[in-house]
Amino acid sequence: MKKRQLTALSMAAVMTAVSLAGCGGSEPAATEAPAAGGNTATEAPAADGGAASGEKVKLTVSVWDNSSSPQFQCIADAFMEKNPDVDVELLDTQADEYNNKVTVMLAGGDTDPDVIMVKDADTQAGMQQKNQLLDLTDYIAKDGIDLSLYNGAAEQLQIDGKQYTLPFRRDWYMLFYNKDLFDAAGVEYPSDDMTWDEFEALAKQMTSGEGSAKVYGSHNHTWMAMVANWAIQDGKNTLLAEDYSFLKPYYEQALRMQDEGVVQSYANLKTGSIHYISVFEQQQCAMIPMGSWFVATLLQDKKDGKFDFNWGVTKIPHPEGVAAGSTVGSVTPIAINAKTDVPDVAWEFVKFATSEEGAEILADNSVFPAISSDAVIDKLASIEGYPEDGKSALEVKNFVFDRPLDAKMPSVRKVIEEEHDLIMIGEEDIDTGIANMNQRAKEAMEE
Amino acid sequence: MTSSQKKALKTNLIGYSFVVPNFIGYFIFIFIPVCFSFVLSVMKWDGSDAPMQFVGLENFAKLFRDSTFIISLQNTVWYAVFTVPLTLVAALLIAVLLNSKIKGMVAYRTAFFFPYVASLVAVGAVWNMLFQPEFGPINEFLKWIGIANPPKWCASTDWAMWVIIIVSVWKYMGYYMVVYLAALQGISGDLYEAASIDGATGIKKLWYITIPMLTPTTFFVVIMLTIQCFKVFDLIYVMTGGGPGRATNVLVNHIYNAAFVDFKFGYASASALILFAIVLVVTLIQMRGERKFTDFV
Repeated sequence: MKKRQLTALSMAAVMTAVSLAGCGGSEPAATEAPAAGGNTATEAPAADGGAASGEKVKLTVSVWDNSSSPQFQCIADAFMEKNPDVDVELLDTQADEYNNKVTVMLAGGDTDPDVIMVKDADTQAGMQQKNQLLDLTDYIAKDGIDLSLYNGAAEQLQIDGKQYTLPFRRDWYMLFYNKDLFDAAGVEYPSDDMTWDEFEALAKQMTSGEGSAKVYGSHNHTWMAMVANWAIQDGKNTLLAEDYSFLKPYYEQALRMQDEGVVQSYANLKTGSIHYISVFEQQQCAMIPMGSWFVATLLQDKKDGKFDFNWGVTKIPHPEGVAAGSTVGSVTPIAINAKTDVPDVAWEFVKFATSEEGAEILADNSVFPAISSDAVIDKLASIEGYPEDGKSALEVKNFVFDRPLDAKMPSVRKVIEEEHDLIMIGEEDIDTGIANMNQRAKEAMEE
Repeated sequence: MTSSQKKALKTNLIGYSFVVPNFIGYFIFIFIPVCFSFVLSVMKWDGSDAPMQFVGLENFAKLFRDSTFIISLQNTVWYAVFTVPLTLVAALLIAVLLNSKIKGMVAYRTAFFFPYVASLVAVGAVWNMLFQPEFGPINEFLKWIGIANPPKWCASTDWAMWVIIIVSVWKYMGYYMVVYLAALQGISGDLYEAASIDGATGIKKLWYITIPMLTPTTFFVVIMLTIQCFKVFDLIYVMTGGGPGRATNVLVNHIYNAAFVDFKFGYASASALILFAIVLVVTLIQMRGERKFTDFV
């Protein structure tokens, strides 16, 4: 009898253990990798700067898709080299789950992550409202950080005159093109000073073929940004608006290009979940407006032999009357968790990651840093495989944020993107879509 | 304590030790959150340290002013009204057909059950390809049989929900087919024999014997299907993401967005309670109906 009881209890224990192990099974492999330095970091450092006791201070940084981009690891490694008493651990999450994961971690009131990489800059406002971010203003003053290095991006991140984040990366839209297709058609490469109308004419000229052999002149991915960004490029409007009628000419152009077969239809791309990378790399389009993050992808994929043609890059086209080199983009800010147990170490990390030194490390890894000093631009332009004639794409004259950093923006974004969807598949005409945007954005802002 | 009492206690303890792990999980992950959700539904809370504010029934009032909630509710009902009967009829017919002794019956049963165990993400991706509006096989076929303008399926607000309904029926009919098969085995062969002697044909036997004898199972299936339909989320998330526009936005979608996009946990809990109330009412009605209609069994 006793034996049976024991068996039952131990089985129950095993079952519990198995079910618990099942929950966290996939995590360690990703998070433990950075700790390969062969040290035994303390679980919870007793105090700031625990180096005095001979033990390493552990600093946790939340990041996304660490395995597919070098951007975080290279900074962490360089920082640990400079600060041997600190052990940086990257908490990795998949990109599309990242914002949710951070929200949950911060809502739990945990001391980890100490440092937060803010994937979508407009989410920082929400975190700040919930008092989850450490105010960096005093640290910045104390260490005399020169905010002008960031070309205005740092000031744009401020909330009520206080700096809760510093810009780490900055990405902006450029025009990528397939040189081989232009050569074959005997057409000159796209210039670095085109209006959107000139761009449309060029795209039309570059469209050729039928059926599966068809080459589209350009490619518009399904993001609302591919229409809306050009409407805000002049800096006069933002996507947090009372009246969205400024989008109308750009919707007209996007729909016209789609109807004429100059770009693939939105409905096709959306229902087929077609990724823009494959469209460009399989030579199905001659040009593609895309963010600067695409540079690293193209460099890597060409190296890996995924495609074998010459690509070029130049400045994004601009509306009539707006200077060439005006572009739209976003920054990736870094923040410190208000609850961190090692604020000073966390600040040292943020300071390093957003410094000129950090920027050059990023540039060496073909990632676009927030600081674009001449040294950084030279580094980016001289990356192996970067087009020799592509330097002008790196020079930015005016930089407009793709979305204002407002706490209301995520809710508004959701409703205007739903209307965007309906306009692009032709279920709503442009005027109805814009009228709905106006009304629904207003409702979302009032909530 | 007598020795027999001791023995009973021991036996009970063994039983409890099996139940406890599951019950702990249920208590922590289901019972407490459900209770918390009731509290949250009358609060305003963004999920942070900031204290919750009591707002009374304001969340519920807001729900009925929110066009997205109304649309989601309509979509959910629309989805359930078509998915429940279609799945039920399909499952019943397949079960009746596969209950006879035909060659390769096991293979057929497996084939019909397979969609139920297939990964939902893979299923969603494949059906999306099949329904692709311009060059998907389904529209190619429709054009071939002479339909010049086939529906645009997931790229059309009128048809997107039908795609979801069709895929749901295909995916879940196999499971309910197994439920019906089990019930069919339980119908006594005497009834059919007697009917044969009276000269009843196959269709008549189905109508006058099989279907009435299956009534309790049918009630079970209807209740399970209805609950499942009101909770639909994953398939829609994978296939259309609630789009185009809001055409396939359903209640759980709305709850998810309110909670994890807008961080309005009180508001989200209020919508979750509405969902709970709907499912509860539907189930109660069906249970009363069951008592009334299955008395003869």
